[in-house]
Amino acid sequence: MTRLPRLSSLQARLLSLLVLLVTLVWLSAAVLTWFDTSDELDELLDGHLAQSAALLVAQQGKNLPERHGDDDAPPLEDAPSLHKYAPRVAFQVFHEGALVLRSANAGSTPMSHKVDGFSTVKLADQKQWRVFGAQGRETDVQVFVGEQVKSRDSILWAVLKGVLMPLMYALPLLAVVGWLAVRQGLAPLRHLSSALAHRQPQALEPVTLPDVPSEIQPVVQSLNALFERIARMMASERRFTADAAHELRTPIAAIRMQAQVALAAGEDTATREHALAYTLAGCDRATHLVEQLLTLSRLEASSANAPTGTVNVSAVTRRVAADLALAALGRAQDLVLQADAPCPIAADDTLTSVLVRNLLDNAMRYSPPCAHVQAAVRCTDTQVVLQVDDSGPGLSEADMTHLGERFFRVLGTEQTGSGLGWSIVRRIATAYQAQVTVQRSSQLGGLCVTVRWPRKRPAETVSS
Amino acid sequence: MRILLAEDDTMLGDGLRAGLRQLGFQVDWVRDGQAAEREITNGDYQAAVLDLGLPLKDGLDVLQALRSKKNNTPVLVLTARDAVPDRIKGLDLGADDYVLKPVDLCELGARLRSLVRRSHGQTQDLLTCGDLQLNPSARQVALGGQWVTLSTREFDLLHVLMLAVGRVLSREQLEQQLYSWGYEVESNAVEVHIHHLRKKLRPELIQTVRGVGYTLLQPKAESGF
Repeated sequence: MTRLPRLSSLQARLLSLLVLLVTLVWLSAAVLTWFDTSDELDELLDGHLAQSAALLVAQQGKNLPERHGDDDAPPLEDAPSLHKYAPRVAFQVFHEGALVLRSANAGSTPMSHKVDGFSTVKLADQKQWRVFGAQGRETDVQVFVGEQVKSRDSILWAVLKGVLMPLMYALPLLAVVGWLAVRQGLAPLRHLSSALAHRQPQALEPVTLPDVPSEIQPVVQSLNALFERIARMMASERRFTADAAHELRTPIAAIRMQAQVALAAGEDTATREHALAYTLAGCDRATHLVEQLLTLSRLEASSANAPTGTVNVSAVTRRVAADLALAALGRAQDLVLQADAPCPIAADDTLTSVLVRNLLDNAMRYSPPCAHVQAAVRCTDTQVVLQVDDSGPGLSEADMTHLGERFFRVLGTEQTGSGLGWSIVRRIATAYQAQVTVQRSSQLGGLCVTVRWPRKRPAETVSS
Repeated sequence: MRILLAEDDTMLGDGLRAGLRQLGFQVDWVRDGQAAEREITNGDYQAAVLDLGLPLKDGLDVLQALRSKKNNTPVLVLTARDAVPDRIKGLDLGADDYVLKPVDLCELGARLRSLVRRSHGQTQDLLTCGDLQLNPSARQVALGGQWVTLSTREFDLLHVLMLAVGRVLSREQLEQQLYSWGYEVESNAVEVHIHHLRKKLRPELIQTVRGVGYTLLQPKAESGF
């Protein structure tokens, strides 16, 4: 690694946190050790001082060198050498006020004013000493045993060094190992990002990674859900384009074909008339398609218009049924209407007619000749319900879910609808908070379409 | 020449059938994918015109099923799906031609003739056999440079025989090529037409293979001239 990763990287963040935390823990362990060792050491070494003093006192009682009156007692030359530690310890022995024995580094004046017990004093060598004073039983013997405080500190430092030194070596090692571990731990993230980076821009299949850890699973799942949504949207757009092409081209292809047949018919009058009749029917079909397309695009353009007027669904249905009655007679279909009570909704009159016309037209168009089509309008306190039943072939479950997709037509029907009627119905219903449900008709066996509008209250009717 | 037309749109299907008949094709019309697959598999069609958005079975599925059954009937896909991936898919699945709606009737006829010609290994529109020449698009026949007037059936019969020159065709095969559905076929119709052809052309041109059928022989060498 030539360059330290920036802290925006998750890996660097984790690693620095880890190292920082380990250092902190280690340092606090060192501090604790310091205090703990310092206490223990004081206790132990103080004990030793006291013991040494007691030894000297006891020894002094038995064989005192006869040196009275001589204040300037010489240092104990034959005292055993205490190797390098010797300069750091000192002792003085007084008998009846006179100094009888002292170590080489101890002065002739008593080391401490405290004759009994511990004290920390500054001696002539300008260093801090820990001194223990002890007296004999008859208080004739006074012993001072001293030890340089600095020597205790060096022991403490040695202990502390023992604790901290491994940290010095361990930290870089820990950093390297931690870096490797974090890198290993973050591998799934890296795999995910490289899998995403290597995708084709148009690729919409779900991301599949082996052994996705549970933390990343939600990310992968959300991504896949997103891809799926986009794929669905794109598929629906493609389908729309393909279906639009089909719906727009087929009538034109038919018109062209029939016109060519009519042109080439020559003396064959029957063929020519047949072809010309079909040419006209093709034009009507194309006109219907264009009208439906225009209705739909007008609806989509005026998405935000709030209904202002009041419309009586019963009256509208009666009017539309009257318009379609002739066509129903032509197909020998039985169109039955039950729309007596006034059922007011807040809507636009023209759009409501378009909706009802599409529903009735669909029911008649996709039912065979001699079929029954029944439209019923009723209202409750809160709702106005229009129900259109027919005795036609109905729809399969799969086809029902496709209703309302623009240009969706059930294949294999003889009828030449535009495939836009349902989109128009849905669009108008949404504008007026109406719900449209499609199911099998329990009365006539074909399709049953129900539209429920919120009923317009009389008070609202008055106020508007 | 017998063609199967698979188109679910009533108005367009009717127009295609009428138009192709005017051009001299025998046309059978089916309106869904399953019927299309069944008829192409069982019938003896020179070519098929296949719409893609068919009910019961999509046109592309029909095409795939046919090709996987080693059925090599030339298929012309006639569709409104104009996206390039759709065309590629159609051609890759075994379509011999891919034509967008709306199509000119004469162009459709020419493309069908071309498909049929190529499926018989011919590269030129003009079919020749010795000094006999047949022009399928103009529906004209010449023998030794002289025009010969033939009836529709006689022309169709000669066309089928010339496409399969050197091969023996049974009476049933010839009947199938001459008549689309809904036409009453008289039991000796093929014999009658063969008789007329021999009379109008040359008696020895069409050979009878007893118990099997008829064949048009390619002249070996022009030693007689």
